[in-house]
Amino acid sequence: MSPLLRALSAEGLKLRHTLALRMCLIAPCVVVALFVAQMFLLGRPSHPPTDSAKAWIGLSENILTLWSLVMLPLFVTLQSALLAGIEHNDRHWKHLLALPVARRVHYLAKLFVLIGMVVTANAFLALFICVGGTLLMLVQPAIGLAGPPPLAYLSEKSACMAAASLLMVALQNWIAIRWSSFTVAVSFGMTATVVGMMVVQSKGLAPWYPWSMPTMAISFDGAFTSIAVAVALIGGIVAAAIGLMDFERHEFS
Amino acid sequence: MTLAIRTRNLTRRFSGRFGICDLDLNVPAGTIYGFLGPNGAGKTTTIRLLLDLLRPERGQIALFGQPLNRRMRQTLGLVGALVESPSLYQHLSGRENLEITRRLIDAPRTRIDQVLDRVGLKPAAGRHVRDYSLGMRQRLGIALAMLGAPRLLILDEPSNGLDPAGILDMRRLLRSLVRDDGITVFISSHLLAEIEQIASFVGVLQAGQLRFEGRLDDLRARAKPKLGLRCDSPAHAVDLLRAAGEEIVWSDPQTLSITLSRRSPEEINRMLVSNGVGVSHLAVENVSLESLFFDLTDAIAVEDAV
Repeated sequence: MSPLLRALSAEGLKLRHTLALRMCLIAPCVVVALFVAQMFLLGRPSHPPTDSAKAWIGLSENILTLWSLVMLPLFVTLQSALLAGIEHNDRHWKHLLALPVARRVHYLAKLFVLIGMVVTANAFLALFICVGGTLLMLVQPAIGLAGPPPLAYLSEKSACMAAASLLMVALQNWIAIRWSSFTVAVSFGMTATVVGMMVVQSKGLAPWYPWSMPTMAISFDGAFTSIAVAVALIGGIVAAAIGLMDFERHEFS
Repeated sequence: MTLAIRTRNLTRRFSGRFGICDLDLNVPAGTIYGFLGPNGAGKTTTIRLLLDLLRPERGQIALFGQPLNRRMRQTLGLVGALVESPSLYQHLSGRENLEITRRLIDAPRTRIDQVLDRVGLKPAAGRHVRDYSLGMRQRLGIALAMLGAPRLLILDEPSNGLDPAGILDMRRLLRSLVRDDGITVFISSHLLAEIEQIASFVGVLQAGQLRFEGRLDDLRARAKPKLGLRCDSPAHAVDLLRAAGEEIVWSDPQTLSITLSRRSPEEINRMLVSNGVGVSHLAVENVSLESLFFDLTDAIAVEDAV
Protein backbone atom coordinates (compact mmCIF):
# COMPACT_ATOMS: atom_id res chain seq x y z
CA MET A 1 0.00 0.00 0.00
CA SER A 2 1.36 3.44 -0.88
CA PRO A 3 2.16 5.91 1.91
CA LEU A 4 -0.77 8.12 0.81
CA LEU A 5 -3.25 5.25 0.98
CA ARG A 6 -1.89 4.29 4.40
CA ALA A 7 -2.28 7.89 5.56
CA LEU A 8 -5.85 7.97 4.21
CA SER A 9 -6.64 4.79 6.08
CA ALA A 10 -5.15 6.34 9.26
CA GLU A 11 -7.29 9.45 8.68
CA GLY A 12 -10.34 7.21 8.45
CA LEU A 13 -9.56 5.74 11.85
CA LYS A 14 -8.98 9.17 13.39
CA LEU A 15 -12.46 10.23 12.26
CA ARG A 16 -14.19 7.47 14.23
CA HIS A 17 -16.68 8.84 16.76
CA THR A 18 -16.11 12.42 15.52
CA LEU A 19 -18.54 15.20 14.70
CA ALA A 20 -16.70 15.73 11.39
CA LEU A 21 -17.82 12.36 10.08
CA ARG A 22 -21.43 12.78 11.25
CA MET A 23 -21.60 16.23 9.66
CA CYS A 24 -21.43 14.66 6.17
CA LEU A 25 -24.89 13.29 6.90
CA ILE A 26 -26.26 15.96 9.24
CA ALA A 27 -25.53 19.08 7.13
CA PRO A 28 -27.36 18.03 3.92
CA CYS A 29 -30.12 16.44 6.00
CA VAL A 30 -30.72 19.69 7.89
CA VAL A 31 -30.93 21.75 4.68
CA VAL A 32 -33.39 19.38 3.03
CA ALA A 33 -35.43 18.94 6.23
CA LEU A 34 -35.72 22.72 6.65
CA PHE A 35 -36.89 23.16 3.10
CA VAL A 36 -39.36 20.27 3.24
CA ALA A 37 -40.75 21.60 6.53
CA GLN A 38 -41.14 25.06 5.00
CA MET A 39 -42.95 23.68 1.93
CA PHE A 40 -45.20 21.58 4.11
CA LEU A 41 -46.07 24.46 6.41
CA LEU A 42 -46.65 26.96 3.61
CA GLY A 43 -49.15 24.62 1.98
CA ARG A 44 -50.36 25.06 -1.59
CA PRO A 45 -48.30 27.61 -3.57
CA SER A 46 -50.15 30.44 -5.33
CA HIS A 47 -48.85 29.27 -8.75
CA PRO A 48 -48.25 25.51 -8.52
CA PRO A 49 -46.31 24.09 -11.47
CA THR A 50 -48.42 22.15 -13.86
CA ASP A 51 -45.56 19.95 -15.04
CA SER A 52 -44.36 17.46 -12.37
CA ALA A 53 -40.83 17.44 -13.82
CA LYS A 54 -40.68 21.23 -13.44
CA ALA A 55 -41.89 20.86 -9.86
CA TRP A 56 -39.00 18.50 -9.10
CA ILE A 57 -36.49 20.84 -10.77
CA GLY A 58 -37.94 23.82 -8.90
CA LEU A 59 -37.63 22.07 -5.57
CA SER A 60 -34.09 20.90 -6.39
CA GLU A 61 -32.99 24.36 -7.56
CA ASN A 62 -34.12 26.00 -4.35
CA ILE A 63 -32.44 23.48 -2.12
CA LEU A 64 -29.24 23.40 -4.22
CA THR A 65 -28.98 27.20 -4.14
CA LEU A 66 -29.39 27.33 -0.37
CA TRP A 67 -26.82 24.55 -0.01
CA SER A 68 -24.21 25.90 -2.42
CA LEU A 69 -24.41 29.49 -1.24
CA VAL A 70 -24.58 29.05 2.53
CA MET A 71 -24.36 25.53 3.86
CA LEU A 72 -21.59 24.15 1.63
CA PRO A 73 -19.10 26.98 2.41
CA LEU A 74 -19.93 26.69 6.11
CA PHE A 75 -19.60 22.90 5.88
CA VAL A 76 -16.16 23.21 4.27
CA THR A 77 -15.14 25.76 6.91
CA LEU A 78 -16.21 23.58 9.81
CA GLN A 79 -14.92 20.31 8.39
CA SER A 80 -11.49 21.70 7.54
CA ALA A 81 -11.20 23.21 11.03
CA LEU A 82 -12.28 19.93 12.66
CA LEU A 83 -9.93 17.83 10.51
CA ALA A 84 -6.95 20.04 11.23
CA GLY A 85 -8.02 20.47 14.86
CA ILE A 86 -7.58 16.73 15.41
CA GLU A 87 -3.85 17.31 14.88
CA HIS A 88 -3.55 20.74 16.49
CA ASN A 89 -5.10 19.44 19.72
CA ASP A 90 -2.52 17.67 21.86
CA ARG A 91 0.07 18.90 19.33
CA HIS A 92 -0.02 15.83 17.14
CA TRP A 93 2.06 17.36 14.40
CA LYS A 94 5.25 16.81 16.43
CA HIS A 95 4.47 13.08 16.50
CA LEU A 96 3.30 12.78 12.89
CA LEU A 97 6.11 14.82 11.38
CA ALA A 98 8.76 12.85 13.28
CA LEU A 99 7.63 9.64 11.57
CA PRO A 100 9.51 8.35 8.52
CA VAL A 101 6.70 9.50 6.23
CA ALA A 102 7.06 12.34 3.71
CA ARG A 103 5.48 15.53 5.03
CA ARG A 104 3.40 16.01 1.90
CA VAL A 105 1.62 12.72 2.60
CA HIS A 106 0.00 14.14 5.76
CA TYR A 107 -1.10 17.31 3.96
CA LEU A 108 -2.49 15.51 0.93
CA ALA A 109 -4.31 12.99 3.11
CA LYS A 110 -6.11 15.83 4.91
CA LEU A 111 -6.97 17.52 1.59
CA PHE A 112 -8.29 14.31 0.03
CA VAL A 113 -10.37 13.50 3.10
CA LEU A 114 -11.89 16.99 2.97
CA ILE A 115 -12.64 16.59 -0.76
CA GLY A 116 -14.13 13.18 0.01
CA MET A 117 -16.36 14.70 2.66
CA VAL A 118 -17.58 17.40 0.25
CA VAL A 119 -18.35 14.80 -2.42
CA THR A 120 -20.12 12.59 0.15
CA ALA A 121 -22.19 15.48 1.53
CA ASN A 122 -23.19 16.52 -2.00
CA ALA A 123 -24.18 12.94 -2.80
CA PHE A 124 -26.24 12.78 0.41
CA LEU A 125 -27.85 16.10 -0.52
CA ALA A 126 -28.99 14.68 -3.85
CA LEU A 127 -30.30 11.58 -2.09
CA PHE A 128 -32.11 13.59 0.58
CA ILE A 129 -33.71 15.81 -2.10
CA CYS A 130 -35.17 12.64 -3.63
CA VAL A 131 -36.36 11.42 -0.22
CA GLY A 132 -37.68 14.85 0.83
CA GLY A 133 -39.49 15.36 -2.49
CA THR A 134 -41.08 11.92 -2.25
CA LEU A 135 -42.21 12.71 1.28
CA LEU A 136 -43.72 16.02 0.13
CA MET A 137 -45.44 14.20 -2.68
CA LEU A 138 -47.25 12.12 -0.06
CA VAL A 139 -48.00 14.74 2.59
CA GLN A 140 -48.51 17.83 0.41
CA PRO A 141 -49.72 16.75 -3.07
CA ALA A 142 -50.85 20.33 -3.83
CA ILE A 143 -47.24 21.28 -4.45
CA GLY A 144 -47.41 19.42 -7.72
CA LEU A 145 -44.62 16.92 -7.28
CA ALA A 146 -45.16 13.64 -9.08
CA GLY A 147 -43.23 10.88 -10.75
CA PRO A 148 -39.62 9.86 -10.21
CA PRO A 149 -37.02 12.35 -8.94
CA PRO A 150 -34.65 13.86 -11.55
CA LEU A 151 -31.66 11.66 -10.73
CA ALA A 152 -29.57 12.64 -13.75
CA TYR A 153 -30.12 16.35 -13.08
CA LEU A 154 -29.26 15.99 -9.39
CA SER A 155 -26.16 13.89 -10.12
CA GLU A 156 -24.89 16.45 -12.63
CA LYS A 157 -25.49 19.43 -10.31
CA SER A 158 -23.92 17.64 -7.34
CA ALA A 159 -20.83 16.80 -9.36
CA CYS A 160 -20.57 20.40 -10.64
CA MET A 161 -20.90 21.82 -7.12
CA ALA A 162 -18.27 19.43 -5.76
CA ALA A 163 -15.85 20.29 -8.57
CA ALA A 164 -16.49 24.03 -8.24
CA SER A 165 -15.76 23.93 -4.52
CA LEU A 166 -12.20 22.65 -5.01
CA LEU A 167 -10.53 26.09 -4.75
CA MET A 168 -12.52 26.93 -1.62
CA VAL A 169 -11.60 23.51 -0.16
CA ALA A 170 -7.90 23.93 -0.95
CA LEU A 171 -7.78 27.43 0.60
CA GLN A 172 -9.72 26.46 3.69
CA ASN A 173 -7.64 23.30 4.18
CA TRP A 174 -4.43 25.33 4.02
CA ILE A 175 -5.66 27.94 6.48
CA ALA A 176 -6.96 25.37 8.96
CA ILE A 177 -3.66 23.45 8.93
CA ARG A 178 -1.42 26.52 8.87
CA TRP A 179 -2.96 28.25 11.90
CA SER A 180 -3.61 26.13 14.95
CA SER A 181 -6.44 28.35 16.18
CA PHE A 182 -9.91 27.00 15.43
CA THR A 183 -11.17 30.59 15.57
CA VAL A 184 -8.89 31.73 12.73
CA ALA A 185 -10.11 29.01 10.36
CA VAL A 186 -13.78 29.45 11.26
CA SER A 187 -13.71 33.26 11.19
CA PHE A 188 -12.03 33.24 7.81
CA GLY A 189 -14.54 30.78 6.36
CA MET A 190 -17.57 32.57 7.79
CA THR A 191 -16.41 35.95 6.56
CA ALA A 192 -15.67 34.54 3.11
CA THR A 193 -19.14 32.92 3.06
CA VAL A 194 -20.90 36.19 3.90
CA VAL A 195 -18.85 38.02 1.26
CA GLY A 196 -19.79 35.23 -1.17
CA MET A 197 -23.49 35.90 -0.57
CA MET A 198 -22.95 39.48 -1.73
CA VAL A 199 -20.53 38.67 -4.54
CA VAL A 200 -22.90 36.10 -6.04
CA GLN A 201 -25.18 38.94 -7.09
CA SER A 202 -22.48 40.26 -9.40
CA LYS A 203 -22.29 38.19 -12.56
CA GLY A 204 -18.89 39.71 -13.32
CA LEU A 205 -17.26 38.75 -10.03
CA ALA A 206 -19.11 35.66 -8.88
CA PRO A 207 -17.50 33.09 -11.24
CA TRP A 208 -14.09 34.20 -9.96
CA TYR A 209 -14.78 34.21 -6.22
CA PRO A 210 -14.04 30.80 -4.62
CA TRP A 211 -16.96 30.91 -2.18
CA SER A 212 -19.54 31.68 -4.87
CA MET A 213 -18.14 29.32 -7.51
CA PRO A 214 -20.34 26.34 -6.43
CA THR A 215 -23.47 28.50 -6.85
CA MET A 216 -22.27 29.74 -10.22
CA ALA A 217 -21.52 26.17 -11.30
CA ILE A 218 -25.18 25.22 -10.86
CA SER A 219 -26.49 28.44 -12.38
CA PHE A 220 -29.69 27.39 -13.98
CA ASP A 221 -29.08 28.72 -17.45
CA GLY A 222 -25.71 26.94 -17.33
CA ALA A 223 -23.92 30.08 -18.54
CA PHE A 224 -21.26 30.03 -15.80
CA THR A 225 -20.91 26.31 -15.16
CA SER A 226 -17.85 25.73 -17.33
CA ILE A 227 -15.96 28.80 -16.20
CA ALA A 228 -16.71 28.27 -12.49
CA VAL A 229 -15.67 24.61 -12.61
CA ALA A 230 -12.55 25.32 -14.68
CA VAL A 231 -11.39 28.18 -12.46
CA ALA A 232 -12.10 26.14 -9.30
CA LEU A 233 -10.19 23.11 -10.60
CA ILE A 234 -7.15 25.05 -11.81
CA GLY A 235 -7.21 27.40 -8.84
CA GLY A 236 -7.67 24.47 -6.46
CA ILE A 237 -4.62 22.68 -7.81
CA VAL A 238 -2.54 25.87 -7.58
CA ALA A 239 -3.78 26.64 -4.03
CA ALA A 240 -3.13 23.03 -2.95
CA ALA A 241 0.40 23.22 -4.36
CA ILE A 242 1.10 26.51 -2.55
CA GLY A 243 -0.34 25.13 0.69
CA LEU A 244 1.75 22.00 0.30
CA MET A 245 4.96 23.99 -0.21
CA ASP A 246 4.16 26.07 2.85
CA PHE A 247 3.45 22.93 4.90
CA GLU A 248 6.79 21.41 3.83
CA ARG A 249 8.58 24.44 5.26
CA HIS A 250 6.37 25.17 8.25
CA GLU A 251 7.68 24.41 11.74
CA PHE A 252 4.94 23.37 14.14
CA SER A 253 5.48 24.19 17.79
CA MET B 1 32.53 2.90 18.83
CA THR B 2 29.29 3.09 16.81
CA LEU B 3 27.50 6.39 17.32
CA ALA B 4 23.72 6.40 17.44
CA ILE B 5 23.68 10.20 17.15
CA ARG B 6 26.46 12.32 15.73
CA THR B 7 26.00 16.04 15.17
CA ARG B 8 28.55 18.51 13.92
CA ASN B 9 28.26 22.29 14.28
CA LEU B 10 24.53 21.91 14.72
CA THR B 11 23.13 25.41 15.06
CA ARG B 12 19.66 26.84 15.32
CA ARG B 13 19.04 30.21 16.96
CA PHE B 14 15.86 32.07 17.78
CA SER B 15 15.39 35.75 18.37
CA GLY B 16 15.22 36.38 22.10
CA ARG B 17 16.14 32.79 22.96
CA PHE B 18 19.37 30.79 23.00
CA GLY B 19 18.58 27.98 20.58
CA ILE B 20 21.72 25.91 20.14
CA CYS B 21 25.11 26.81 18.75
CA ASP B 22 27.75 24.53 17.16
CA LEU B 23 26.56 21.46 18.99
CA ASP B 24 28.77 18.38 18.55
CA LEU B 25 26.93 15.44 20.07
CA ASN B 26 28.37 11.93 20.18
CA VAL B 27 25.88 9.43 21.52
CA PRO B 28 27.29 5.88 21.70
CA ALA B 29 24.98 3.12 20.49
CA GLY B 30 23.49 0.74 23.05
CA THR B 31 23.69 3.15 25.98
CA ILE B 32 21.37 5.41 27.93
CA TYR B 33 22.53 8.95 27.24
CA GLY B 34 21.30 11.61 29.62
CA PHE B 35 20.92 15.02 28.01
CA LEU B 36 21.02 17.45 30.89
CA GLY B 37 20.47 21.13 31.19
CA PRO B 38 18.31 23.68 32.94
CA ASN B 39 15.00 24.74 31.44
CA GLY B 40 15.56 26.82 28.32
CA ALA B 41 19.08 25.46 27.72
CA GLY B 42 18.12 24.16 24.26
CA LYS B 43 17.33 20.50 24.98
CA THR B 44 13.96 20.45 23.24
CA THR B 45 15.36 22.46 20.32
CA THR B 46 18.09 19.83 19.93
CA ILE B 47 15.54 17.02 20.04
CA ARG B 48 13.33 18.77 17.50
CA LEU B 49 16.35 19.11 15.21
CA LEU B 50 17.18 15.42 15.68
CA LEU B 51 13.64 14.56 14.56
CA ASP B 52 13.58 16.96 11.59
CA LEU B 53 10.82 18.98 13.24
CA LEU B 54 13.09 22.02 12.98
CA ARG B 55 15.58 22.79 10.26
CA PRO B 56 19.13 23.67 11.32
CA GLU B 57 20.74 26.93 10.25
CA ARG B 58 23.91 24.94 9.74
CA GLY B 59 25.50 21.67 10.74
CA GLN B 60 24.93 17.99 10.11
CA ILE B 61 23.06 15.21 11.84
CA ALA B 62 23.78 11.51 11.36
CA LEU B 63 21.85 8.70 13.04
CA PHE B 64 23.77 5.40 13.03
CA GLY B 65 25.92 6.92 10.31
CA GLN B 66 22.98 7.81 8.07
CA PRO B 67 22.53 11.52 7.36
CA LEU B 68 19.24 13.13 8.31
CA ASN B 69 17.70 16.04 6.50
CA ARG B 70 14.36 16.90 4.93
CA ARG B 71 15.26 15.01 1.76
CA MET B 72 16.46 11.90 3.66
CA ARG B 73 13.66 11.38 6.14
CA GLN B 74 13.82 7.58 5.89
CA THR B 75 16.59 7.84 8.50
CA LEU B 76 13.79 8.64 10.95
CA GLY B 77 12.73 4.99 10.59
CA LEU B 78 15.55 4.21 13.02
CA VAL B 79 14.07 6.48 15.65
CA GLY B 80 11.13 6.42 18.01
CA ALA B 81 10.39 9.59 19.93
CA LEU B 82 8.36 11.07 22.70
CA VAL B 83 8.66 14.86 22.61
CA GLU B 84 7.38 16.56 25.75
CA SER B 85 3.89 15.21 26.48
CA PRO B 86 2.58 12.27 24.42
CA SER B 87 0.39 13.21 21.43
CA LEU B 88 -2.73 11.09 21.77
CA TYR B 89 -6.18 11.10 20.20
CA GLN B 90 -8.37 11.38 23.28
CA HIS B 91 -11.54 10.14 21.57
CA LEU B 92 -9.92 6.85 20.57
CA SER B 93 -8.72 3.85 22.56
CA GLY B 94 -5.08 3.15 23.30
CA ARG B 95 -5.08 0.37 20.71
CA GLU B 96 -6.64 2.67 18.06
CA ASN B 97 -4.00 5.30 18.78
CA LEU B 98 -1.31 2.70 18.12
CA GLU B 99 -3.16 1.49 15.00
CA ILE B 100 -3.03 4.99 13.47
CA THR B 101 0.75 5.15 13.77
CA ARG B 102 1.05 1.50 12.71
CA ARG B 103 -0.82 2.23 9.49
CA LEU B 104 1.32 5.29 8.80
CA ILE B 105 4.63 3.50 9.23
CA ASP B 106 3.38 0.18 7.82
CA ALA B 107 4.46 -1.85 10.87
CA PRO B 108 3.19 -5.43 11.28
CA ARG B 109 -0.15 -5.76 13.12
CA THR B 110 1.44 -8.04 15.74
CA ARG B 111 3.66 -5.17 16.80
CA ILE B 112 0.75 -3.47 18.62
CA ASP B 113 0.34 -6.32 21.11
CA GLN B 114 4.10 -6.55 21.55
CA VAL B 115 4.49 -2.89 22.55
CA LEU B 116 1.34 -2.96 24.70
CA ASP B 117 2.81 -5.95 26.54
CA ARG B 118 6.12 -4.18 26.91
CA VAL B 119 4.65 -1.11 28.58
CA GLY B 120 2.07 -3.11 30.56
CA LEU B 121 -0.97 -1.50 28.93
CA LYS B 122 -2.58 -4.54 27.32
CA PRO B 123 -5.46 -4.80 29.82
CA ALA B 124 -6.34 -1.10 29.28
CA ALA B 125 -5.79 -1.06 25.51
CA GLY B 126 -9.50 -0.93 24.70
CA ARG B 127 -10.26 2.01 26.97
CA HIS B 128 -10.57 5.56 25.69
CA VAL B 129 -7.36 7.52 26.18
CA ARG B 130 -9.30 10.34 27.84
CA ASP B 131 -9.88 7.90 30.75
CA TYR B 132 -6.16 7.13 31.13
CA SER B 133 -4.09 8.38 34.05
CA LEU B 134 -1.05 10.54 33.35
CA GLY B 135 1.26 7.55 33.87
CA MET B 136 -0.74 5.42 31.43
CA ARG B 137 -0.61 8.17 28.82
CA GLN B 138 3.13 8.42 29.24
CA ARG B 139 3.46 4.65 28.81
CA LEU B 140 1.25 4.77 25.72
CA GLY B 141 3.51 7.54 24.40
CA ILE B 142 6.50 5.25 24.82
CA ALA B 143 4.59 2.39 23.19
CA LEU B 144 3.95 4.70 20.20
CA ALA B 145 7.65 5.53 20.07
CA MET B 146 8.54 1.81 20.12
CA LEU B 147 6.01 0.78 17.49
CA GLY B 148 8.43 0.98 14.57
CA ALA B 149 11.01 -1.21 16.40
CA PRO B 150 13.47 1.69 16.55
CA ARG B 151 17.18 1.38 17.26
CA LEU B 152 17.14 4.76 18.97
CA LEU B 153 14.57 6.09 21.41
CA ILE B 154 14.51 9.86 21.95
CA LEU B 155 12.59 10.88 25.05
CA ASP B 156 12.10 14.49 26.10
CA GLU B 157 11.53 14.78 29.87
CA PRO B 158 9.61 11.47 29.97
CA SER B 159 9.13 11.46 33.75
CA ASN B 160 7.37 14.86 33.77
CA GLY B 161 4.23 14.59 35.86
CA LEU B 162 4.82 10.97 36.88
CA ASP B 163 4.45 9.87 40.49
CA PRO B 164 7.39 8.07 42.18
CA ALA B 165 6.03 4.64 41.27
CA GLY B 166 5.59 5.76 37.66
CA ILE B 167 9.15 7.07 37.59
CA LEU B 168 10.46 3.74 38.89
CA ASP B 169 8.46 1.87 36.21
CA MET B 170 9.85 4.17 33.57
CA ARG B 171 13.44 3.56 34.70
CA ARG B 172 12.89 -0.19 34.74
CA LEU B 173 11.42 -0.08 31.23
CA LEU B 174 14.26 2.01 29.80
CA ARG B 175 16.91 -0.22 31.36
CA SER B 176 15.24 -3.32 29.94
CA LEU B 177 15.05 -1.74 26.47
CA VAL B 178 18.79 -1.21 26.47
CA ARG B 179 19.63 -4.55 28.10
CA ASP B 180 17.20 -6.82 26.22
CA ASP B 181 16.70 -5.07 22.89
CA GLY B 182 20.00 -3.23 22.47
CA ILE B 183 18.13 0.05 21.94
CA THR B 184 19.96 3.33 22.47
CA VAL B 185 18.02 5.69 24.72
CA PHE B 186 18.59 9.45 24.47
CA ILE B 187 16.75 11.01 27.36
CA SER B 188 16.59 14.70 28.18
CA SER B 189 15.93 16.05 31.63
CA HIS B 190 16.60 19.04 33.81
CA LEU B 191 16.84 16.70 36.83
CA LEU B 192 20.34 15.41 37.43
CA ALA B 193 19.16 12.94 40.09
CA GLU B 194 16.86 11.33 37.50
CA ILE B 195 19.61 10.98 34.90
CA GLU B 196 22.14 9.76 37.50
CA GLN B 197 19.88 6.78 38.18
CA ILE B 198 19.84 5.42 34.65
CA ALA B 199 22.36 7.02 32.29
CA SER B 200 25.89 5.85 31.61
CA PHE B 201 26.75 8.78 29.33
CA VAL B 202 25.77 12.39 29.79
CA GLY B 203 25.83 15.62 27.88
CA VAL B 204 25.38 18.86 29.79
CA LEU B 205 23.85 21.71 27.83
CA GLN B 206 23.74 25.32 28.94
CA ALA B 207 22.61 28.31 26.92
CA GLY B 208 22.70 26.24 23.74
CA GLN B 209 26.27 25.03 24.21
CA LEU B 210 27.55 21.64 25.28
CA ARG B 211 29.49 22.14 28.53
CA PHE B 212 30.39 18.48 29.09
CA GLU B 213 30.00 15.22 27.28
CA GLY B 214 31.27 11.85 28.41
CA ARG B 215 30.75 8.99 30.80
CA LEU B 216 28.88 9.75 33.97
CA ASP B 217 31.90 8.32 35.84
CA ASP B 218 34.14 10.93 34.17
CA LEU B 219 31.77 13.63 35.35
CA ARG B 220 31.90 12.13 38.84
CA ALA B 221 35.71 12.09 38.65
CA ARG B 222 35.59 15.84 38.13
CA ALA B 223 33.79 16.16 41.42
CA LYS B 224 36.97 16.23 43.51
CA PRO B 225 36.55 16.93 47.23
CA LYS B 226 37.68 20.29 48.58
CA LEU B 227 39.41 21.18 51.81
CA GLY B 228 38.10 24.19 53.73
CA LEU B 229 40.86 25.85 55.74
CA ARG B 230 41.12 28.73 58.22
CA CYS B 231 44.43 29.90 59.70
CA ASP B 232 46.16 32.84 61.37
CA SER B 233 48.02 34.04 58.25
CA PRO B 234 45.97 33.21 55.12
CA ALA B 235 48.15 35.21 52.72
CA HIS B 236 51.25 33.27 53.79
CA ALA B 237 49.30 30.00 53.56
CA VAL B 238 48.20 30.86 50.00
CA ASP B 239 51.81 31.54 48.98
CA LEU B 240 52.97 28.26 50.49
CA LEU B 241 50.21 26.18 48.93
CA ARG B 242 50.51 27.79 45.50
CA ALA B 243 54.26 27.21 45.57
CA ALA B 244 53.46 23.55 46.32
CA GLY B 245 51.21 23.43 43.26
CA GLU B 246 47.84 23.33 45.01
CA GLU B 247 44.67 24.86 43.49
CA ILE B 248 43.20 27.44 45.85
CA VAL B 249 40.19 29.70 45.83
CA TRP B 250 38.88 32.01 48.51
CA SER B 251 35.56 30.69 49.80
CA ASP B 252 35.15 33.84 51.89
CA PRO B 253 37.62 36.42 53.31
CA GLN B 254 38.58 34.07 56.14
CA THR B 255 38.38 30.68 54.47
CA LEU B 256 40.49 29.08 51.77
CA SER B 257 39.20 26.25 49.64
CA ILE B 258 41.74 23.79 48.27
CA THR B 259 40.95 21.17 45.63
CA LEU B 260 42.17 17.82 46.96
CA SER B 261 44.04 16.19 44.15
CA ARG B 262 47.74 16.12 45.05
CA ARG B 263 48.01 15.90 48.84
CA SER B 264 45.88 14.54 51.63
CA PRO B 265 44.42 16.91 54.29
CA GLU B 266 47.00 15.60 56.79
CA GLU B 267 49.92 16.44 54.48
CA ILE B 268 48.56 19.93 53.85
CA ASN B 269 48.10 20.53 57.56
CA ARG B 270 51.64 19.27 58.30
CA MET B 271 53.13 21.45 55.59
CA LEU B 272 51.42 24.61 56.84
CA VAL B 273 52.20 24.00 60.52
CA SER B 274 55.84 23.18 59.80
CA ASN B 275 56.09 26.53 57.99
CA GLY B 276 54.71 28.48 60.97
CA VAL B 277 51.07 28.78 59.94
CA GLY B 278 48.58 28.20 62.78
CA VAL B 279 45.64 26.15 61.42
CA SER B 280 42.38 26.68 63.30
CA HIS B 281 39.90 24.88 60.99
CA LEU B 282 40.30 22.04 58.53
CA ALA B 283 37.29 20.34 56.94
CA VAL B 284 36.86 18.09 53.90
CA GLU B 285 33.89 19.10 51.71
CA ASN B 286 32.71 16.43 49.30
CA VAL B 287 31.45 17.92 46.01
CA SER B 288 28.17 16.43 44.90
CA LEU B 289 27.48 15.72 41.25
CA GLU B 290 24.66 18.18 41.56
CA SER B 291 26.93 21.05 42.58
CA LEU B 292 29.29 20.13 39.74
CA PHE B 293 26.30 20.25 37.39
CA PHE B 294 25.45 23.70 38.70
CA ASP B 295 29.09 24.75 38.32
CA LEU B 296 28.97 23.65 34.68
CA THR B 297 25.66 25.28 33.95
CA ASP B 298 26.25 28.43 36.02
CA ALA B 299 29.67 29.21 34.59
CA ILE B 300 28.36 30.25 31.21
CA ALA B 301 25.44 32.08 32.76
CA VAL B 302 27.96 34.21 34.66
CA GLU B 303 29.97 34.74 31.47
CA ASP B 304 26.79 35.83 29.70
CA ALA B 305 25.83 38.15 32.51
CA VAL B 306 29.26 39.80 32.29
